[in-house]
Amino acid sequence: MEAAILFILVLGFLFLGVPISISLGLSSVLAIAIFSNDSISSVALQLFTASQNYTLLAIPFFILASAFMSTGGVAKRIIRFSIASVGAIRGGLAIAGVFACMLFAALSGSSPATVVAIGTIAIAGMRQAGYTKEFAAGVIANAGTLGILIPPSIVMVVYAAATNVSVGRMFLAGVVPGLIAGLMLMIAIYVMARVKNLPAQPWPGFKEIWHAMMEAAVGLFLMVIILGGIYGGIFTPTEAAAVAAVYACLVALFVYRDMGPLSGIRWVQEEDGPLGLAGFKTITYGFTAMFAWSGIAGMVTDRQGFFGIDSAIVLLAALIGYPLLRGRVSPAELPSIYGVGAKIWGRNIGLIIWKFLPAMFHKDTKKVMVDAAKTTIMLMFIIVNALLFAHVLTSERIPQAITDWMVGAGFNWFTFLIAVNLLLLLGGQFMEPSGLLLIVAPVVFPIGMELGVDPVHLGIIMVVNMEIGMITPPIGLNLFVTSGITGMSLVQVVKAAAPFVLILLMFLILVTYVPALSTWLPYSLMGPEIITNR
Amino acid sequence: MQRVDNWVTRFEEGVLAFLLAAMTIVSFTQVVARYGFNSGWTGALEFTRILFAWLILFGMSYGVKIGSHLGVDAVIRLFPKPVFRAVAVFGALCGVVYALTLLWSEWLHIFGLDTRGGAIDYWSKMYKIGIGLDDLRYPDAIIETFGTKERVQRWIAYLILPIGLFLFMFRCIQAAWQIITGEREMMIAAHEAEDLVAENKDVLKD
Repeated sequence: MEAAILFILVLGFLFLGVPISISLGLSSVLAIAIFSNDSISSVALQLFTASQNYTLLAIPFFILASAFMSTGGVAKRIIRFSIASVGAIRGGLAIAGVFACMLFAALSGSSPATVVAIGTIAIAGMRQAGYTKEFAAGVIANAGTLGILIPPSIVMVVYAAATNVSVGRMFLAGVVPGLIAGLMLMIAIYVMARVKNLPAQPWPGFKEIWHAMMEAAVGLFLMVIILGGIYGGIFTPTEAAAVAAVYACLVALFVYRDMGPLSGIRWVQEEDGPLGLAGFKTITYGFTAMFAWSGIAGMVTDRQGFFGIDSAIVLLAALIGYPLLRGRVSPAELPSIYGVGAKIWGRNIGLIIWKFLPAMFHKDTKKVMVDAAKTTIMLMFIIVNALLFAHVLTSERIPQAITDWMVGAGFNWFTFLIAVNLLLLLGGQFMEPSGLLLIVAPVVFPIGMELGVDPVHLGIIMVVNMEIGMITPPIGLNLFVTSGITGMSLVQVVKAAAPFVLILLMFLILVTYVPALSTWLPYSLMGPEIITNR
Repeated sequence: MQRVDNWVTRFEEGVLAFLLAAMTIVSFTQVVARYGFNSGWTGALEFTRILFAWLILFGMSYGVKIGSHLGVDAVIRLFPKPVFRAVAVFGALCGVVYALTLLWSEWLHIFGLDTRGGAIDYWSKMYKIGIGLDDLRYPDAIIETFGTKERVQRWIAYLILPIGLFLFMFRCIQAAWQIITGEREMMIAAHEAEDLVAENKDVLKD
């Protein structure tokens, strides 16, 4: 009875246009005020303590990292790399669009940001190459949803917080399904391209691929920090997120220079000439090679220090080998290119130190901070209230009642997962993913555990459902965004996206009934998940 | 009035940016301190968590002001104009009821409900008892000069609870008034990326 009133209150408020957060919070507060003798003080205190959850603390940092990574230049570099590497296949630009969305998803946890950043450039490019607008928009709207499946993902952090599953395992679990989903979209595009005879890009050559990769690598290293740091046991996921945010900030301000006081100042100026460029590259590649080698050697062997004598050998080999083999420099010119290279590096480091404080207080930096804070607040206020709601549900013993009923009704894991999928697909039409997850997880998780479903696998199923919710009407976030940037009507976008949505639905069935896709990577790297929250 | 408004917005945004930046810097320096210098600050985690709570509780009223709280507008848009406006006002008033109940739940006595407590009540209790937080301590210099206790009192951290709820209530009342006078359409944002879409509206339109 109380459960029914609670759900009717929430849905009633929701459809009357009350904000989601307040619908959840107000229903919980009213339920406590009417049905229980608890003091409201403890409820008010929960608003404060909900944010004390260590796992949830990662969310603002991931949002901040993604805000710095979405400031324009990163998307351009990723698209250049994608087109260089897969553009020469038939239908290559669309495949490159999917690939770019996957890479961008690895830097940012947000689907709409992926659609805007990649879509604005990629859709225009596809139109010029002769693709129809509908096809281009459909591809990007769907590929953009990979943002929440490929780690880092905020929805996964929320699931981990709600069920006490480890964030590290959830992130690793998203890798294989993310790759498969991307691959399935790419194959579908390739088949369509064969049928419709869509164009291919000219083969750019390995040199262009290498250059494009080097440019994108600085940004993509963020993924290495997060996954490597968590898996290597260097940081907790929350710390990894904080490090990622600082790294993203430094890259955006001082390396890519798309914003802040250094925007427009290039690392190597025109007047440095070809010799200067060669020298700069020699030193950069030399030290990068040394650090990469030392890092890998440190992981493979069990030596104490970071550097060994081998690091010095690698550095020397790169410093001498690169200019002679690639830079078209004669041995006599070697000393002079080291001189010019060191001068360019010195000038840039000086510039960074000189502009460090101005950059930190620059208006662009502040804008990114405020944007990230806005997103954090919007999301966290929903999460805080959803936690309040989940607390009321648990204290009324509603999850237990539903578990008993479902087990009694003869559900097994197979039929249970169908029910979960249907529930989430339906709920995903009206609710924000994180909020929905926090309400559904306390109910569904204990049943899943009772029926022997793997906790990490269940999490991935939920995330894929949220993904599909983003591209199905009536309320699909990516549909709104795509329709907004392309000027197409919502109905047109829905039609354009539909063939690819079918592929994602097939993918959902695959993920649901092949648990190994989700569990193989995390369990072989980090050991099985221990269920602490029954 | 416009100038005061701008000043308030800049103040709010400044506080939010500062809180987020402080959280990030404290967490980051903790990692650096642990690996670089094998040390750390015991209060860091508690401090970060309090900043996080302050960010959310201070920011929720700012969210009402800029209309960034998500909601479902598909149903109410089907209603005729006057009904739509009345429902939109109802949405804002729900926010007022929410905040007021959490602040001072005894107002519900007029409906015959037997409620007690609330943020104000809880905060004043904490103020009277004056117990400290778990890990967060005052620096020695402050203890010596001002003769404070060793630990930072809980009521300081909890101060944001009544303040945040009060600001939230104020912004909801303001939103309701703006909807009545027609300055504003409704309180909610229909989806998360409204700003993002508005910035890039029709960039690809032929």
